[in-house]
Amino acid sequence: MELLGIVICGGAALACALLVILSKNTVHSALWMVGNCLALGVLFLFLNSQFLAILQVIVYAGAIMMFIIYAIMMLNLRVAAETDFRKSLFTGRFVVLFLFIICLLALGLGLSPTALKGGMGKIAMAQFGEVNLIANYIFVQGIAAFELVSVLLTAAVVGAVFLARKD
Amino acid sequence: MKFDLVWLIPIFPLVGVLINGLLGRRIVEKNKSLVHWIACGAVGLSFLVTLLLFVKLLGLPAEERLYDFTWFSWISSGVFHVSVGYLIDPLSMFMCMFVTGVGFLIHVYSIGYMGHDESYSRFFTYLNLFMFSMITLVLADNFLLMFLGWEGVGLCSYLLISFWFTDLANAVAGKKAFVTNRVGDFFFAIGLLVMLTHLGAHGMWSLKFTDVFSHAQLLPPHLVTIVCLLFFLGCTAKSAQIPLYIWLPDAMAGPTPVSALIHAATMVTAGVYFVSRCNVLFTMSPFAMQVVAVVGALTAFFAATIALTQNDIKKVLAYSTVSQLGYMFLGLGVGAYAAGLFHVLTHSFFKALLFLCSGCVIHAMSGEQDMRNMGGLRKKMPVTFITMLIGTFAIAGIPGFSGFFSKDEILWQAYSSPQGSHLLWFIGVLAAVMTAFYMFRLIFMTFFNECRASEEVQHHIHEAPKSMTIPLMVLSVLSIFGGYLGVPEALGGANRVERFLEPVFGLGKDKLLQAAGGNPLIHRVVAETAEHPSFAPEYKLMVFTTCIVLAGIFASYMLYMRKRSVPETIAANNPSFYRLLLNKWYVDELYEKVFINPLRAFSIFLWKGIDVIVIDGLVNSTAAFFMECGEVCKVSESGYVQRYAVSFLVGVFVLIAYFVYVR
Amino acid sequence: MNDYQSVYLALSAILFGVGVLGVISRKDAIVVFLCIEIMLGAVNLAFVAFARANQSAEGLFMVMCIMAVAGAEAAIGLAIFVLLYRKTGTINIDKFNLLKW
Repeated sequence: MELLGIVICGGAALACALLVILSKNTVHSALWMVGNCLALGVLFLFLNSQFLAILQVIVYAGAIMMFIIYAIMMLNLRVAAETDFRKSLFTGRFVVLFLFIICLLALGLGLSPTALKGGMGKIAMAQFGEVNLIANYIFVQGIAAFELVSVLLTAAVVGAVFLARKD
Repeated sequence: MKFDLVWLIPIFPLVGVLINGLLGRRIVEKNKSLVHWIACGAVGLSFLVTLLLFVKLLGLPAEERLYDFTWFSWISSGVFHVSVGYLIDPLSMFMCMFVTGVGFLIHVYSIGYMGHDESYSRFFTYLNLFMFSMITLVLADNFLLMFLGWEGVGLCSYLLISFWFTDLANAVAGKKAFVTNRVGDFFFAIGLLVMLTHLGAHGMWSLKFTDVFSHAQLLPPHLVTIVCLLFFLGCTAKSAQIPLYIWLPDAMAGPTPVSALIHAATMVTAGVYFVSRCNVLFTMSPFAMQVVAVVGALTAFFAATIALTQNDIKKVLAYSTVSQLGYMFLGLGVGAYAAGLFHVLTHSFFKALLFLCSGCVIHAMSGEQDMRNMGGLRKKMPVTFITMLIGTFAIAGIPGFSGFFSKDEILWQAYSSPQGSHLLWFIGVLAAVMTAFYMFRLIFMTFFNECRASEEVQHHIHEAPKSMTIPLMVLSVLSIFGGYLGVPEALGGANRVERFLEPVFGLGKDKLLQAAGGNPLIHRVVAETAEHPSFAPEYKLMVFTTCIVLAGIFASYMLYMRKRSVPETIAANNPSFYRLLLNKWYVDELYEKVFINPLRAFSIFLWKGIDVIVIDGLVNSTAAFFMECGEVCKVSESGYVQRYAVSFLVGVFVLIAYFVYVR
Repeated sequence: MNDYQSVYLALSAILFGVGVLGVISRKDAIVVFLCIEIMLGAVNLAFVAFARANQSAEGLFMVMCIMAVAGAEAAIGLAIFVLLYRKTGTINIDKFNLLKW
């Protein structure tokens, strides 16, 4: 059951991603990106992370993508000026070679799932992904990082306003 | 013992330097007189402190007149320690007395002489700096501090010779003095290091005079000779002896008070002081003593011959200084240290006086220095005339004036001392005759006969202001009576100078006897100077010298007062000889050919051959190599973000591969 | 429970590769930016997969941080694009090659 879900949603995510980079129209690319985010969100559900799935949909598919669409509208771009980008995609094929190397690496690592060990206390499987556990982690161990992230976001807002203002 | 005040002596001029040097320009704007009040006051205070200590020293019994005041530690490196300390003994106080005394008078004189100069405060800053260095030189209790003062006076000499540096000739003269002194100092430093390393090999890592001299017997005799000769070479540069005297006549480019203070009265006697200070070492090396005596006598003679034909009033005095310094070294070289130093004292009085008088003359003549354009100044400048006449009497050795006693003592010692010889005495007498001749020539050409200056210059001739004439009077009194400090026993005097300085030189002889072992010559020296010969030969020599000096004066009178065409006839009849003297024996030209030109050629080779081709070539080819590398590598810097991203990715993959498969 | 771990990771790697391909070959700055987002999403997936395998909340926290960074990046990046567009009238990144020799 899970495998079926993974295959469907993973296939969808992959297809959306490919369409993002293959679309001529920037707006289309952005819309396919939304699809990619949604597919990932479903995959998060399969991974028992309901909270992150919701965040993925709200923050990514909702907020950030809307942001990008707005930007596209402001820039008044409909069809990208580039016509030969398929050719450059073709020339980028050696990257695909590396891609396979990465895949092999990932599969190699995947055989021992604890290769990347977490240091903090284990969570019972049944509770994994529940909001209260994540919240506990954020506001106990991760409080410093959390506050830094808030500073980063504030700085980003200030920077964006400063850069984009008319002068 | 309360000699701890001694550090005040050098400090006062140093404070003067700091005030005038840092704030001088502003002080001049506000109140010009404050500058010379500070400068003269500083030196005056030094003189007073010196006087105080001198009186205290006199109050002690002769054998206790030695005090070493250590002020603070200067260098402390392993076993090697040097401190800043001052040695108070008869010799250092003797030097310090006249250095500060004459220095003070010349400071006062400078107020009038430099009154209209733009760089008023700079002049007094340099003068005070000179006083500081000179006092350090004579009071230092170790070789290194003395060397500091030695270099300091050299620096001040350079600064003051090229004081009016906008004139190229002055700058060149200063440079010449500086470079010549460097040559001497180089050998001096080598001597110092040779001595230190050999003493250090015996565990004697000290440069204190007292330590070195009390351990002098540790040095093997040949080494003492080498060290002494190296030291003496340093002294020939500082005290303008053959072969390094060439800078002193050119040094007259500086202001006249400087010539008086530095290049006649004080700095150039540093070499005499140093040889006297190292009398222990020099006495241990008879050969070095002979070299000193011969060089001194030759310089006295040689410089006097040049002075005969010079027409520049200051050049005459400069060569006369060289000649008189030769006398001093002659005295030292024959073992008569006290006589040499006595001449230093009297010479500082009368030569400072003569220079200051010549300064008044030049001042009055609106900067004219050529005696052929002077004459008849006697009536217009009576004070200058009389004082200069007194100075001339003193330097010529007229009986009763100070120069007579000191010069006679030297000549007598050159004749009678076991290290002396009749030949040295004869050369000295010849130089004395010539001295009398050229000094009176100077007097006759400057003050007598009709005035040969232009109308406008004549109009400006005036007697010097009070600040200039008062030092002249003081110095002329000293020039007369200074000699009575050391009236020889032959004339019923007590020879106080010699008695006073005896502890310093007696120490040398005592140590020498201990150290000498089987050296018969040294035993002979010590033995013979101890016993007293009869006075009869001394009287004979005295009368003889006086007569021949008077003859020299008479000749001068005849040639320059009566038959004034004769000198030109003589010059015309002996053109080559006259030109030889006029051009100073072509020594400058000889040095130019032998030392300077090869050195210049070598330097040009180093510049064009080594520096331009090899060193610049290395540097430039290194740069060119990396420029070529850059040309090749710049292709990778395309400016396209995506190419950078690719290279970044490749790097990331390589790193991942490394960590997964290799580690 | 680790049955599908390697499938998730393979999917993550492939998505990441697609993102890289887009980043290095598309010239439209907006699309490049979207491809960066794809890469971040792929990384997020890997993080969550490992978090579940290790039963640790750290991975989840990391994902949240990455989302925040992505948001900040979007804000700044898009502001820069707007600025560039105003100055030059294009957002083709091949036109911005001033940082060269």
